[in-house]
Amino acid sequence: MTDRHIGFSARITISILTMLTMVMMATPAFAADIAIAVGAPERVSIGQDVEVKAVLSEDGVPVEGAEVALTYQASLAGESARVEIAWGTTDATGTAVMIYEQRADDNGEMQVVYLGPGADPVQPYVFTIAVESDGPQLYQIEAGVTIPFINGTLVITVISTVWFLIALAAIYLVRVGRAGRLASEAPTTEDGSMWISTALATAAVITAIGMVIVFVRSPVSNTHIKDPHSYDRTPIAYVGVDFSYVGFGLDDESAAQTGDPIADGSVLYFKYGCAACHGLSGQGAVVGTPLVDEIGSFGSFSEDIREGPKGMPGYDDATISEENLQRIHAYLKDGD
Amino acid sequence: MDTLTNWRERLISKTTRPTLVTTYKYWLWLSFLVVIAGNGVFQYWKQWQDGLYVTDMRDRISWGLYITAFVFFIGISHAGTLISAILRASKASWRAPITRIAEFITAVSLLVGASFVVIDMGRPERIFNVYLHGRWQSPIMWDVMAITTYLTASVIYLYAPMIPDLGLYRDRLADKVGAVRNFIYRTLALDWNGTPTQLRLLGKAITIMMLIIIPIAVSVHTVVSWIFAMTLRSGWNTSIFGVLFVAGAIFSGVATLILVMAVLRRIYHWEEYLTQKHFLYLGYLLAAFGAFMVYINLNEYLTEGFNLEEAGVFAFRQLFLEDFAVMFWFYIIGGLLGPIVLMLIPKTRTIAGVVAAAILVDIAMFIERYFIVVTGLRVPLMPYEPASYSPTFVEWSVFVAGLAFFCLLLTVAIKIFPMLAVWEMTEEHEAAIAGTRAKEALMAGAEVVGSATSTERSPDPGRPAEGGSS
Repeated sequence: MTDRHIGFSARITISILTMLTMVMMATPAFAADIAIAVGAPERVSIGQDVEVKAVLSEDGVPVEGAEVALTYQASLAGESARVEIAWGTTDATGTAVMIYEQRADDNGEMQVVYLGPGADPVQPYVFTIAVESDGPQLYQIEAGVTIPFINGTLVITVISTVWFLIALAAIYLVRVGRAGRLASEAPTTEDGSMWISTALATAAVITAIGMVIVFVRSPVSNTHIKDPHSYDRTPIAYVGVDFSYVGFGLDDESAAQTGDPIADGSVLYFKYGCAACHGLSGQGAVVGTPLVDEIGSFGSFSEDIREGPKGMPGYDDATISEENLQRIHAYLKDGD
Repeated sequence: MDTLTNWRERLISKTTRPTLVTTYKYWLWLSFLVVIAGNGVFQYWKQWQDGLYVTDMRDRISWGLYITAFVFFIGISHAGTLISAILRASKASWRAPITRIAEFITAVSLLVGASFVVIDMGRPERIFNVYLHGRWQSPIMWDVMAITTYLTASVIYLYAPMIPDLGLYRDRLADKVGAVRNFIYRTLALDWNGTPTQLRLLGKAITIMMLIIIPIAVSVHTVVSWIFAMTLRSGWNTSIFGVLFVAGAIFSGVATLILVMAVLRRIYHWEEYLTQKHFLYLGYLLAAFGAFMVYINLNEYLTEGFNLEEAGVFAFRQLFLEDFAVMFWFYIIGGLLGPIVLMLIPKTRTIAGVVAAAILVDIAMFIERYFIVVTGLRVPLMPYEPASYSPTFVEWSVFVAGLAFFCLLLTVAIKIFPMLAVWEMTEEHEAAIAGTRAKEALMAGAEVVGSATSTERSPDPGRPAEGGSS
């Protein structure tokens, strides 16, 4: 749904920006002089406390006081990112011990990364830890207190009884019609009058069955909270895990320093949250009006932003500088 | 016996009058309603185009006038159940003239109320997902369930006792109304000619519905309250909410019934049937429920206020002292105590007094629904500034259109269906004039109605007398 609204060229622009950012960040060569070695179990099971040892050395000399982090590849709602799950500081022997609790059933590619104190990037150590697939899920929701006979079956029984009685009353009405037809020697009503009560009874019975079906199939129509297999269908964000997911870095103003006002404007358009109401490419959405073809002179645009027409909040100078405003204007007016 | 026949004939002519006589005032009223409703439809179309942005509902206060209207109309729908089912089950004979009106109010307000849920949705076409992917763990699902059940049941409960009267209309009005209404009567009357078998079967259908519709109705408004009470919001999550909602529903239902009765009585001169006694009885019912509501409110706010939690301080302040204080105190003083006072003072113990009480109650109950919905959402869950909400023109238009639709459906129904339960009223009347033989007459009530309606087919002045004297 949302993807559709991102213009093709906007996507290209964003991709290029992202790649540029990445290339810029990766430009300095890795400081090859710090080496990371890792000792970790090959196979763990869910719920286990896993110890990962990292040894840092520089030209064979242990590095003391270095910060490292253990990361794994997590994916959530179609997005994939590296997640830091444990941290450590190396001691005099250059060893940092990191312990994490195994929660996910697949770690993907794991890395030990160097965080500092040196600013130079260090080649991370890449390895894998297999997870026993048949282990129990750590996070299985208990259904509260289970009281015998107070359950879905009882609910369905009550609903079925009520609807049975409603349908029964409707069927009595059908019989009223039938009795009337049998009793009258010369029926005055050639077009018959049983169909309406029959239709009523049928509607009642069908609704009754439908209602019960909705309830009966309800537990399987969504992710079932108890069955680990169906529970696994949805990627899970684990409580207590810090997702240091950076995303596209749109709130990072350095991404808007390309010099091209249109490209910069597109980043700033996201940064200041315009997209939240006016759509990903300014096409307008439920709350915000369309902007793309509606943008007038910079003067009136600026006035609107500063004052905030209708329900829109105003943004003063301190929030969006005049220069950035001009770039957003350029993007909306001339970008595509 | 002549008196009885005359009485019945007069009743029939009075009942059929709305169906047969239509003045320019009716069309004026009808077009007024159509204009109001049309404006609502137009405003809703705008909402459909632009989304819920046209309302004042935002992320923090995401329910407003529409949900208020939903709760209010579903509440009104309890008129039919209480008056009709409870009084029928307890064999209160004075109920006969007002049951039909009450049952119509039920069906009509349920239709209007339920549609407000869809109106409140930003993506109304997704309503079917409730059926496709519903989970019975969700209170919304319970609500859909309860209202579907109630709507089906109340339509049957409206229809079944009307069949003998539809039979009467079919026979009496065959050459007086157009083809459409003739078709409706022929079809809906189910070949009714009052044979003992038919009476027995109809009696069974009515009995089943009468008994089952009471728990259904109670469940409906309880479940509506659970939509609020199952949350962790201050002001909503109290165990008394179900009782508060059901009592409030019956309270406003009775008030609405009084208003509709007063209007019909005045327009169609039904003074003989909708007597002061009916108004007073319903007025006493209002006063009794007003007292009950005071008790529930006291119970709720004292329990919550005594062990005041942090969020409760804000909830109490806005309700009792600040933003919603005027509404709240009008509700307590005008809406709950007002009817009691009006019924206590002998001078106001009149039809006008009862109608005044009913107007107060309906306004107060609407206000109560409003501040329950809005204040609950206004309590900040995190340290942010409390949001504000004031319904926009679109919301008011749609809400007023809901009221107009409610009146419109009743206005149209009165041109087609018998609004007074002729056969039940005849039965009661006979029982009353039979005096000491009242019980006997009731036992043979089946035959009375049976023969009475079948006389329309082959007019024979002797036959109703047979029934009456048996």
